[in-house]
Amino acid sequence: MSDVGIVRGCKIPKDLYYSVDDHTWVRVNDDGTVTVGMTDVAQNLAGPVLHAKVKKVGLTRAKGKPIGTVESAKWVGPIKTPVSGEIVEVNEKVTEDPQILNRDPYGEGWVVKMKPTNWDEEVKELVTGEEAIQKYLEKVEREDIKACEHIE
Amino acid sequence: MEDLEGKKILVIQTHGVDTPTRTYSPVYYAIAAAAMEMDVMIWFTMNGTNQLRKGEAEKIELKPGSGVTLKTLLDQALDAGVKLSVCQQSMDLWDMKPEDLIDGVKILGATSIIDLALDADHVMYF
Repeated sequence: MSDVGIVRGCKIPKDLYYSVDDHTWVRVNDDGTVTVGMTDVAQNLAGPVLHAKVKKVGLTRAKGKPIGTVESAKWVGPIKTPVSGEIVEVNEKVTEDPQILNRDPYGEGWVVKMKPTNWDEEVKELVTGEEAIQKYLEKVEREDIKACEHIE
Repeated sequence: MEDLEGKKILVIQTHGVDTPTRTYSPVYYAIAAAAMEMDVMIWFTMNGTNQLRKGEAEKIELKPGSGVTLKTLLDQALDAGVKLSVCQQSMDLWDMKPEDLIDGVKILGATSIIDLALDADHVMYF
């Protein structure tokens, strides 16, 4: 697909916004909400996800605060929201079948939908399109992040 | 998922390099609690102290061939905001000086740990 960049085997769709340092993505929805998830690079670093917890609907989160946690055999950590706002929907499937985060991080494995409160400002700190691919390329090279593996 | 932000967890780790399989889980739980926005400290004492000697934690691999060592987890813990502290008296037991410790570890005495235990919402003892 031409609209998906590949960085060391990791997929980076060009239509999403990214917080490269936190390995999260944002999709802008037509209804004014945004969908947030973790990137292909993140799922690869974590390895097969064994458990995931997602915060509750109605909770307001400042940018950088966790919207959930992810555990694998070798890693446990937060998924930090790249935007401030209220959680308006959570993906229950992530808790029921955590490896959905590995299999389809940009689709079925979305984490929360949020109503952003400071989008116009915060979007300036996110990257998209070719810039996102470039930033990710720099990051994987700087940190020598291993090539993506995908589980079915 | 409940909002647990700010709850205080104290993890006491008494196991060290002589029993490698008992070293990972306490650190892993501490990282998990930090990811859940809790205020977490690991207190290393008794045999737990020796894993903080520079060069020791690298020798303990989580699973052969995994490339993940106890040092990887200790670094993750520090990155996640977990505070690492060590018992001063047990450092003497292992002939360890402050410069022998990995970076990021605070040395505390016995009275401090009693204060911390009373102040914590929960203490996990290993």
